[in-house]
Amino acid sequence: MSSNATRWALAGAATVTAFGVGRVVARRRRRRQPDRADGWYVVHRGITVDRPMEAVVGFWTDRERLDRGLAEWVSLEQLDDSRWRCVATDAGGDGTEWRAEITVVGPGRLSWRVTEGPVAQEGRVELAPAPQDRGTEIRAQLRWRSGPVRRALGLTGGNDPDVALRSALRRIKSLIETGQVLDTRHDPSGRSPKQEQATDRMREKLMAGGRP
Amino acid sequence: MRALCWEGVGKLAVRDVPEPAVRSGGDIIVKVRASSVCGSDLHLINGYLPAMREGDILGHEFMGEVVETGPDVRRIKVGDRVVVGSVVACGGCWYCRTEQYSLCDNSNPQPVFTEKLWGHSPAGILGYSHAAGGYSGSHAEYIRVPFGDVGAFTVPDGVPDDSVVFASDAMPTGWMAADFCGLKGGEVVAVWGAGGVGQMAARSAQILGAERVIVIDRLPERLATATQRLGVETINYAETDVLEALRELTAGRGPDACIEAVGMESHDVGPIYAYDRAKQSARLQTDRPTSVRQAIMACRKGGTVSIVGVYAGLVDKFPLGAAMNKALVLRMGQMHAQRYIPMLLDRIAIGEIDPGYLATHPMSLEEGARGYEIFQKKEEGCLRTVLHPQPA
Repeated sequence: MSSNATRWALAGAATVTAFGVGRVVARRRRRRQPDRADGWYVVHRGITVDRPMEAVVGFWTDRERLDRGLAEWVSLEQLDDSRWRCVATDAGGDGTEWRAEITVVGPGRLSWRVTEGPVAQEGRVELAPAPQDRGTEIRAQLRWRSGPVRRALGLTGGNDPDVALRSALRRIKSLIETGQVLDTRHDPSGRSPKQEQATDRMREKLMAGGRP
Repeated sequence: MRALCWEGVGKLAVRDVPEPAVRSGGDIIVKVRASSVCGSDLHLINGYLPAMREGDILGHEFMGEVVETGPDVRRIKVGDRVVVGSVVACGGCWYCRTEQYSLCDNSNPQPVFTEKLWGHSPAGILGYSHAAGGYSGSHAEYIRVPFGDVGAFTVPDGVPDDSVVFASDAMPTGWMAADFCGLKGGEVVAVWGAGGVGQMAARSAQILGAERVIVIDRLPERLATATQRLGVETINYAETDVLEALRELTAGRGPDACIEAVGMESHDVGPIYAYDRAKQSARLQTDRPTSVRQAIMACRKGGTVSIVGVYAGLVDKFPLGAAMNKALVLRMGQMHAQRYIPMLLDRIAIGEIDPGYLATHPMSLEEGARGYEIFQKKEEGCLRTVLHPQPA
């Protein structure tokens, strides 16, 4: 085979490979992108809590328990019968502050809207009994916007609200079922302070968005 | 305080580390009196599960004295002499309510690793890498135990530390392996591995009604111990063709149940073993499943294969066809410590099981690295090294 033919064959193979890989990557990215509706990204996340619905609702209305459980991340201020103001630091771990308004819209249903934060965001939560005596399903729908440029490029932003939502649901489940959320960040180790910092960054990654 | 830390693949050293403190309401602090090495530690030390960080404290099989309790702890009191299950369980989720403690929903605060690897995240385990929650381990003077009321059990007076320490992991693991077999009485059970867990599985199978128990290993001294202590039959796989031997010992049927108590660094002889070992060294597969393959091939048609040896990831040449066409029942899992420990403590107290003979090498914490070396190389007839972290 002449060297020219070899070159053509290689170029052809490379093109086909690149095309194939590109298609797989594009499909994979599309599959992992959240749904979109009216310019909002929309995700649905759920978690099952092994308690009857009354107990789950009771958790939200027991002010003392709520404060004790959430103090580290969230402070709540009641505005009127059905509205609350909430200030939270990002569950993703970078310390960004969020302000939101929470409205109770019915029995076992509430909605929230971020009034101040890096990403425009709203959502709602619905409780439903889980089958087979498994307790209560907490079903959340989250909608958020990212900037026009990011949206055009199909990027959801580094500060992924979906990750924060998944983390929050896991924490809420743990608080209701056990009254605490475990953390091993301060467990003793033989690490230097610098190594400990690096390990803490890894721990954040292993915590953020994780589900049981 | 002093603690035995992981310093990189194959390296351990004693370091000065801060003392643990109560961080959640359910925490207890235990002053460790005996802390055993475990075969599954070797997978972590040797880097087969890439979730260890330099400075992590190892150890998950231990007993000691409670020195501090969190404000929500009710059942456990300061001064109690306790054995603690290796698996952390919250006691409040559906899995804990149904006594499947090693599947607890709330005890792994770092679930991303195992969620990605296995689809869901099971319970955290003390001293067992950042995949299992990043908890500090028990090869230290003190350890924090979350959900102390759920995981710690007071031990009967008069039972020595070096005996009751195995109620933490080896005994419940062995018991669960036998429990999985669904024994009704009169069965033949084969056990792969004559280490601590294998021997406890063999004893548990006897108690649960097995008529004959056959233990398989390659170390003559471990097989001799099993025969002498438990009265089991043995096969040395380095000298005998295991499948043929089991077929003949059961007049052609094969064992009714096969327990695998070996895990991902399984040994064998012959070219396929060399091939597996090479692939695992190059990380082309994470686990060497030699003994699982044998168990599936040996098991009688319609029998049960019970796997309690630890596997982490992917295996090659898994004889799924044999398992499917012989209609085998495959059961496996990390042990549900909290479900079995109280019952096992009762059995220790009346002398029905005496795991004390497993502790062949009691050592100080300072000798920990050497203790693991003896244990891994199976030198000096070592079954288990048990570390004593408190200064003599």
